[in-house]
Amino acid sequence: MLKLEFLETILIRFRQQRWPKVFLFALLGTLLLAPAVQAATGGTLDRGQTFALVLLGITTVLLSIYLFVVIFQPERF
Amino acid sequence: MGSLSHSQPRSPSHQPRQQRKHTPKAKTQGLYQRAIKQAFIKLDPRVQVKNPVMFLVWVGTIVTALVTINPNLLGNATDKNPQLFNGLITLILLFTVLFANFAEAVAEGRGKAQADALRSTKTDAIARKLLPDGTVQEISSTDLRRGDLVKVIAGDVIPADGEVIQGVASVDESAITGESAPVLKQPGTDIASSVTGGTRILSDELVIRVMADPGKGFIDRMIALVEGAERTKTPNEIALTVLLAVLTQVFLIVIATMPPIANYVNSPVSVAVLISLLVALIPTTIGGLLSAIGIAGMDRVAQFNVIATSGRAVEACGDVNTLVLDKTGTITLGNRLAEEFIPVNGHTIPEVAQVALAASVFDETPEGKSIVRLAETYGVASFFNLDQAEGVEFSARTRMSGTDVADGTEFRKGAVDAIKGFIRSRQGEIPVELDHAFEKVSRLGGTPLAVCQNQEIYGVIYLKDIIKPGIRERFDQLRRMGIRTVMLTGDNRITASVIAQEAGVDDFIAEATPEDKIEVIRSEQAKGKLVAMTGDGTNDAPALAQANVGVAMNSGTQAAKEAANMVDLDSDPTKLIDIVTIGKQLLITRGALTTFSIANDIAKYFAIIPAIFAQAGIGSLNIMGLASAQSAVLSALIYNALIIPALVPLALKGVKFRPLTADQLLARNILIYGLGGVVAPFIAIKLLDNFVAAIGLA
Repeated sequence: MLKLEFLETILIRFRQQRWPKVFLFALLGTLLLAPAVQAATGGTLDRGQTFALVLLGITTVLLSIYLFVVIFQPERF
Repeated sequence: MGSLSHSQPRSPSHQPRQQRKHTPKAKTQGLYQRAIKQAFIKLDPRVQVKNPVMFLVWVGTIVTALVTINPNLLGNATDKNPQLFNGLITLILLFTVLFANFAEAVAEGRGKAQADALRSTKTDAIARKLLPDGTVQEISSTDLRRGDLVKVIAGDVIPADGEVIQGVASVDESAITGESAPVLKQPGTDIASSVTGGTRILSDELVIRVMADPGKGFIDRMIALVEGAERTKTPNEIALTVLLAVLTQVFLIVIATMPPIANYVNSPVSVAVLISLLVALIPTTIGGLLSAIGIAGMDRVAQFNVIATSGRAVEACGDVNTLVLDKTGTITLGNRLAEEFIPVNGHTIPEVAQVALAASVFDETPEGKSIVRLAETYGVASFFNLDQAEGVEFSARTRMSGTDVADGTEFRKGAVDAIKGFIRSRQGEIPVELDHAFEKVSRLGGTPLAVCQNQEIYGVIYLKDIIKPGIRERFDQLRRMGIRTVMLTGDNRITASVIAQEAGVDDFIAEATPEDKIEVIRSEQAKGKLVAMTGDGTNDAPALAQANVGVAMNSGTQAAKEAANMVDLDSDPTKLIDIVTIGKQLLITRGALTTFSIANDIAKYFAIIPAIFAQAGIGSLNIMGLASAQSAVLSALIYNALIIPALVPLALKGVKFRPLTADQLLARNILIYGLGGVVAPFIAIKLLDNFVAAIGLA
């Protein structure tokens, strides 16, 4: 019962925290994509460089989404 | 509706603007130091995210800072001395963001200084609350509520906004208007009965009905407005934000897709250079200055002693097509003075003077007093006991005023038509000469007031109207800007047409009632026009609310001030013309800097692209002959950063306003800011490149 309440609290907090959630998904995306990118570059980039490059790519995509939000909902900014 | 009447009270603040004494209220000492501090505080991402262009620069700064720390973080570095190069880019990008923050902070700082000055006038005064049983209870002004009655005596600070319901007293309103002359406050006079919390009563005592709850008074609203607490983006700002976001999005996609192309042409580009290229291409100049321009527009209005309820109102001023102006106080000098008595019906001038004096003894307006003064020059005096007589107040409906004596004698003065109606209602005769006298005065541009005793007309008073000097030139300017002016007056058609012709207004409405004002506004708006007007009375409130730009006089009623979207602290209706000019200036400034910012891109493009793709065979496009790819990038970025603070004075002061048509303004802006925006960066980037190369930075 106590465990259930604890999980419920975590779930509620998780829904409330917008930016940490974005960062978490960005990092998870990096974890998923980095190996594929490293394979595609044929080993010219080391593991750290690949992770950083994928994170930069995800940041660029997020910036692009942010700009679309500004374009379609400018009054929010 | 003071201006449509002949006998409404005038606020003592209706003096020529040059005669007013304004004390500088806002202290701007330390403004730049505070702005520098604020520029760093505004680096908070929650603040940066509000400005899409600068947010991208901010993110770019973080990425370049990371590749400065570890140049091989995002791939093997190929640049010469990558740590120094990336570090310089980081520094320049950081300064670009800081300069944009600084511009906004300076503009906000001015408003905050003014808010501080206003806040210093707010004191937690002790109020004498009148209880229903007539006793007085001393409470804190913050405990007062709307509808409470308070008593204030000489020396007290008025504890809240309200309406005078009893007493006559002079009030020092310099705390909010900066004007040193005290203002007479009395009940039942619509205009002079409104008092503002924070002002000080100088003489006598007043009983006031509180009209605003604590924290919702006039000064509180003014503080919130000048501080920018309620600042929301205006429609034009929103439209421009969308345009800037679209441009930024386009360039982001272009830059993000560039590395594969660059690798294909065997000219790999580092991430730091790509970020530099992105920052150079997105419209950072206008992105950095946009909010500063808007805030500065509000500030310019505030410096004019006008409080705007929103930036939207200031901006709407710039788009105004029609100005609805009252004749009295705006086009002519506020106080019309009696110039001559014209007898009719076989009466003599002293007889007319006698009746005019009798009809004016209770008239406290400058016009009424001037009639008494002129009558006294003919050696006449009041021949009845004032205690046994009663004043008949002017109203917009009856359009006459006068005196009723206890023996049943009625003295009246007023608009000729109104007096004719009065005479007919008492079965009197209307002499033929009355119309001649009426026409004579009207053709002189004066206001004819007929005077009568019971059912007999004695003559006409010639009230002289003086057109304000320079007003014709102002209307000519407005016409050149495509703004139509409509004059409203309670005067007859002939007087109105003479004044309209002399003043140079485009149209006029004679014998106007307060309802006509709202009708004119509605009909203009139905044609798709934006209308601006001024007003001070309670019956102006609907028209002030209907107008796109409604400017209430500070001397006006609370209802007028609440309905309007601007309040003129000097109560000078002529200022409407200046406010329109400020609105136009705001729009012109924003347009000019947007043109300049976008035109800048051409030179930056020619600086960076040929240099970084020289190996791809487009080196011949390096028409500026820049030393190297690195120096080209640094020069373009340095220019990009420096142009923001260089344009801060222009953004705050505004582009100099010239009364030109929209087409002429567009042509002029394209020539100066469009062509200038193309040429200036070519020269500046070349000079910066020489400097960067000379000191060996790249």
